[in-house]
Amino acid sequence: MGGGGLTTYVARRVLIALGLVYIVTTIVFLVLHVIPGDPAMLLLSGGGVDPSAEAVAELRRKLGLDQPIFTQYIDYLAGLLQGDLGNSFQDDHPVAAEIAKRLPRTIELILAAALLSVLTGLPLGTLAALRQGGITDRSLSLVAGLMLSVPVFVTGTLLVLVFAQKLQWVPAGGFVEWSRDPIRHLIHLLMPAVTIAMGLSAVIFRMMRTTVLETLQQEWVRTARAKGLSGRSVLLRHVVRNALGPVLTVLGLHMGTLLGGTVLVEYVFNWPGLSGFLVVAVETRDYPEVQGIVLVISFLFILLNLLVDLLYSVLDPRIRLE
Amino acid sequence: MSDKPKTFYDDLSRRHMLGGMAALGGAVLVGPGLIGRAQAKTPGTLVFGLSSYPPGIKPWENKGTASSTVKLQLFRGLLGYGPDGGLQPELAESWEIPDAQTYIIQLRDNAYFHNGDPVTAEDVKVSLEAIAAEDSTAHLRSRFGVVESIEIVDPKTVRINLKEPQVTFIYLLASVHSHIVSAKELAKDPNNFVGAGPYRMVEVERGTRIEMEAFDKYYKAGLPKTKNLRFDAYKDENLRVAALEAGDVDVIEYVPWQSMDSIGANSKLNLDVVDGPFMYLLFNTEAGPFTDPRLRQAVAYAVQRQDVIAAAFFGRGNLLGAMPIPKGSEYHEPSFEGHWKRDLEKAKALLAEAGFPDGFQATLLSTAQYGMHKDTAEVVQQNLADIGIQVKLNLPDWATRVSLGNRGQYDFAVMGSAGDFNDPDALTNFLDGTRGNSYVRSLGFADDEINGLLAEGRQELDPAKRKAIYDKVHARALELAPIVPINWRAQGYATQAYVSGFKNMPGFLTFYSGYTIENTAIE
Amino acid sequence: MNPKLRRLLPRLLLVGLILGLALFAPLLTDQDPVKMTISERLQPPSADHYLGQDEYGRDILARLLYGARVSLAVALLAAAAAGVIGVTLGLVGGYFGGIAELFTVRLTDIVLSFPPMLLALLIVTILGPGAETLTLVLTILYTPGYARVAYGETLSARSVEYVEASRALGASPFRILFRTILPNISGPLIVQFSLTVASAILIESGLSFLGLGVVPPDSSWGLMIRAARGYMVYSPLPLLWPCLALTVTVLAVNALCDALRDIYDPKAAREGGLLQAARSLVRFPVAGEARRAEAEPAEDAQVKVSDLRIEFATPHGAFAAVDGVSLAIGRGETVAVVGESGSGKTMIGLSILRLIPGPHGSITAGSIALRTKQGDVLPLEQLDEEALEEVRGRDVAMVFQEPMTSLNPVYPVGEQIAEALRRHHDLNKREALAKAIELLERVGIPDAALRVRDYPHQMSGGMRQRVMIAIALSCTPALVVADEPTTALDVTVQAQILDLFQHLRDEGDSDLGLMFITHNLGVVAEIADRVLVMYCGRIVEEGPVREVFRDPRHPYTRGLLSSIPRVNQATGERAPLTAIPGTVPGPGERPQGCAFAPRCAFAEPRCSVEEPVAHSFAPGRSTRCLRWDELGPAAARDTEREITQEAGQ
Repeated sequence: MGGGGLTTYVARRVLIALGLVYIVTTIVFLVLHVIPGDPAMLLLSGGGVDPSAEAVAELRRKLGLDQPIFTQYIDYLAGLLQGDLGNSFQDDHPVAAEIAKRLPRTIELILAAALLSVLTGLPLGTLAALRQGGITDRSLSLVAGLMLSVPVFVTGTLLVLVFAQKLQWVPAGGFVEWSRDPIRHLIHLLMPAVTIAMGLSAVIFRMMRTTVLETLQQEWVRTARAKGLSGRSVLLRHVVRNALGPVLTVLGLHMGTLLGGTVLVEYVFNWPGLSGFLVVAVETRDYPEVQGIVLVISFLFILLNLLVDLLYSVLDPRIRLE
Repeated sequence: MSDKPKTFYDDLSRRHMLGGMAALGGAVLVGPGLIGRAQAKTPGTLVFGLSSYPPGIKPWENKGTASSTVKLQLFRGLLGYGPDGGLQPELAESWEIPDAQTYIIQLRDNAYFHNGDPVTAEDVKVSLEAIAAEDSTAHLRSRFGVVESIEIVDPKTVRINLKEPQVTFIYLLASVHSHIVSAKELAKDPNNFVGAGPYRMVEVERGTRIEMEAFDKYYKAGLPKTKNLRFDAYKDENLRVAALEAGDVDVIEYVPWQSMDSIGANSKLNLDVVDGPFMYLLFNTEAGPFTDPRLRQAVAYAVQRQDVIAAAFFGRGNLLGAMPIPKGSEYHEPSFEGHWKRDLEKAKALLAEAGFPDGFQATLLSTAQYGMHKDTAEVVQQNLADIGIQVKLNLPDWATRVSLGNRGQYDFAVMGSAGDFNDPDALTNFLDGTRGNSYVRSLGFADDEINGLLAEGRQELDPAKRKAIYDKVHARALELAPIVPINWRAQGYATQAYVSGFKNMPGFLTFYSGYTIENTAIE
Repeated sequence: MNPKLRRLLPRLLLVGLILGLALFAPLLTDQDPVKMTISERLQPPSADHYLGQDEYGRDILARLLYGARVSLAVALLAAAAAGVIGVTLGLVGGYFGGIAELFTVRLTDIVLSFPPMLLALLIVTILGPGAETLTLVLTILYTPGYARVAYGETLSARSVEYVEASRALGASPFRILFRTILPNISGPLIVQFSLTVASAILIESGLSFLGLGVVPPDSSWGLMIRAARGYMVYSPLPLLWPCLALTVTVLAVNALCDALRDIYDPKAAREGGLLQAARSLVRFPVAGEARRAEAEPAEDAQVKVSDLRIEFATPHGAFAAVDGVSLAIGRGETVAVVGESGSGKTMIGLSILRLIPGPHGSITAGSIALRTKQGDVLPLEQLDEEALEEVRGRDVAMVFQEPMTSLNPVYPVGEQIAEALRRHHDLNKREALAKAIELLERVGIPDAALRVRDYPHQMSGGMRQRVMIAIALSCTPALVVADEPTTALDVTVQAQILDLFQHLRDEGDSDLGLMFITHNLGVVAEIADRVLVMYCGRIVEEGPVREVFRDPRHPYTRGLLSSIPRVNQATGERAPLTAIPGTVPGPGERPQGCAFAPRCAFAEPRCSVEEPVAHSFAPGRSTRCLRWDELGPAAARDTEREITQEAGQ
């Protein structure tokens, strides 16, 4: 694989990504201004009260909502080009700062879930493949099928009911910064991560099982055995290692989906991440926040897909990216 | 030969993988158990579980219950309310109302802002003028339009002159949306609001948590009782309850109705419920079927109010078959009580009289975002089916609901609200359509007689005469049915049993219960 | 019945049952799903309400059944709509390419740059919640998936012969797309459809759970869960039912999807078919303690196989792939094992490394005695896996038929050689790599120091086979089994590899024993000292190459010899090929008497009755034919000459 080819490839993919992100941004901008719901009105009518019309008009002016949409759009783009995502309608807090704070939490949640999934899915998937058709395989596959079929909000709800409300082992939800108390941080992370990991590890399990089965019948496995390699070496170096490519690709793609998909989990566990934040931002029609979040998530999503492709080419030297 | 064929990976898979799995699984399952309640509470800190993270804590904007509660810790106004619901002095030491047009306020000597400056007449003047200012987004902006001028009599005395007599103005001064802030700080930065509340801000984790500590120069001796105060936001009501049950928080607001029984039965917890706001139906009186008051009346007679209470509020709350004037109020008139109750014959007769003997179709606007609104709409839909009114539900999210309400895109709608204060003048919000279109009142409803009476009531000082005026308003409203009240909504706070001093304040003031946080002690 | 169909049917029935329950909800319950009976809130199951009542006193069973209608209708409708739109876009984009592709497939890529849940949230906010919105959201979400599948399949189908043929016949693009290509890609699309339905049910319930989906009073499982969650602590049943319904439904659709994929998706279909293959490769039966007899020392033999019987279990009973074979390979000797496919020759090769595919295949009788480099004689058939691992690669190595797939694609070839070296020698990485370069040079790879870092896919087939040979030779085994090492290569490369083998055998210490398994007698003539001809798991003729070629005493050997293409030296004309009529009988079809009799030109009636035994008629020579002495030497003499000449060219 020529270095030049790869650079061109990455550059082209990034350009396409930027183009897509631009389209996405524009669509979201237009869409937001079409949605019924006046942000100024909403901001001043907390708890079902009747704000004075003058106050609402004044707030609209302050938020720039009295301008024509086109002017607002140009202003927004101009801000974007300077790296400014705007300020929240609610309290004038810079959107970029808020995203910078919340994004790592969502990513942390996804990574923790991915880690748990890999730690369970990979070995169990391999085990099931080796025991194909046996009782181990059948029961593991059944459990995986179940975990794939239970929605996260059901799992999450049941976990809260059992472990927080009944057993009182863990807090019902919420978040503590790592810098404040690392242990409590991890305890708060545990349940949401496990909830996501259930489905994700089932995905990895199934993928690993299939891929290992496929790899096991490859002739290089026989070659490896003919060399006198131990079962352990054959399995790790010539079966599991080869199965990693497709499995990690699937994992990567799922992690991308999770960037917006942790919404339900963040909701159920009160995890102050980015996707839960989006729901609130949409509810309050905080345009700058919605736009900023969508922009960042879509960009990361596209970027992650690119990284997955790159990673795959590293794991499988046969793949060429051009 | 062994009966079971062995494979080249047999030993390895058993030894390594199963062992590893067992260890991992064990760690995941047992880990937290061993750690146990590792997240013990910080001693000396009162943790308050909010129903949402305040969308803003500016002193004069109304951004909902959670925001009001937080604001009350940082800021205080001239007047406030005691735990019993009576007016009490805050920054003001005393007040005098020579006539209903003049309010003279004497300030405390020992009230200080968080920056250490004493609270002066200048601060009061600047703050109150800012509420009514041209570029103001304050909740009470239009109501403060009644102010003619604010005079500084001396550094500790303020005189407020109104354009016209208004007896209810005193309630505006006690509102949680008319706090006094430091004029000096405001002059430096128009967005820097420094108040004189019992707690000062320590740290804000936006969207999650607000931390405060007691202000040592607070003007009430010995208060606040708890050194540290933390607000944690739990948007999901089930999780809020779970957090209380798990001991993560000491107090929660907005106890979901379905959890009230179990919390009440839990000896480790205390439940404090009052009848606070009320649920009602409002109508589009400009277009559609409900331009005819008889049809509004028919709806009023068809609604099975106890079903709403049972289904939407799990049996918590009380019937409201007349205009919302609380029982404890001196303006409550027992003869109106239960005026509207389910009477299908009467409802059908009214329909027939209005020319719809077989009923008609109508769209009911509510929101799926809040269970109580959605559930109320569902029950109303069922009830009206009994008199042949086919109701189609429109349940968008809250933001859309507000927009559609303001634009009048509905036939009738479900709403829940509370008055701004415990005075029948609060009815103005719901009955006076000349105040403009709003999602809280019926579109286009304006009755000269009602409006005239309301204006009269605002200017009348004598309570007996006021009562007569509001009784007339009430009677007229029951005739025209501009809104159809359904029930008083139970509003609950719950605390750990070891928490003392916190009180759910009566009536509309339930949302002002944040006043009692300064009296709240733990253990 | 086809096992795949057998898997499919119950799943299809289950999904059908769920659909039926939803469809016939009004017949199954006379309860009204929206009728409230507030006085009977949260009642436990009763005779009137089999699953109890919810917080409005509504019948939970009725709500479940009617909720299923909404959930499933939304999911099916969205999956179908997305299917129609996506497939059309994909077909058009894939078939026409260019601008059409930009406006079809690439357009759907925009949807793919939103995480799905985020997109759903945005759309629901614009349009307001409701079943119609949900259907639209899900349609938009799933269109790109179909478009991609259809696009990819169309691209590959476009160049397939029958499509090109239709095009050449002047069929309109429309006709080609919908009549020719569409049916051909329906398999993957059906799989995509079922995947989409399962996912749509989950997303629908998730959105309804958030209050953004189905609008009350309509019932939906997500809504029921949302409502029941509020009072789950003291009344868990109303939560349980919709959770259960949702899980079972998604599980059923997922299971159906798996079964469909087995049938339609060729890649995953291999997984099902793999069942046997995968196990057979890795499972290896370990001999019990039954026979502990000392292996007979074969004088001077690297390996001595005695009365070996290898059986495979099949659904129709056991069958012997190798049936009483004895052979020995001496020091420095090259023995060719020849036969058609199915003759059992590969099994013999694998058995010497004890790599017979288990668990169905196993050695049921006989012994394999291997002489190690130290001079010990090991009874291979009795060793356990650990001991065998020591022997493999060190004392006996193997070169496989297919160099394309026998090397692991993810490691550079040098590493794969080094791996073998380090397994049996105490070398560090650098030393092993240096040794690997040496080996590559030895097997004739130029620029070995550079190529050592190449991955297998960067090498030609011949190169890769050289690498395989280098791996086999790396630990200087005393015996190499080469299983058709040249078959997969083209002719010129074949010759080079043969030269390499000859060279290796002749160079230095020519103690290397070589078992050369092939179906090509031309190769045999060139390389082997002795030849064993196998048919149906038995050695039918054996002897020194020259003698067997000159004087084959089994009709099968003669048949093989005459089926070699050859050119008459004098005239330059190709001699007519004489193929052996018929095919090797499959397992369980083995005839009585001589197994070759049905295909044999010399067969007599007694051949079908009497089973011939191996007859040793000269030193080192034997045959299993009743009429061996009637097959004169003259019959094949010129054949042999021509072959040797051709092979020598």
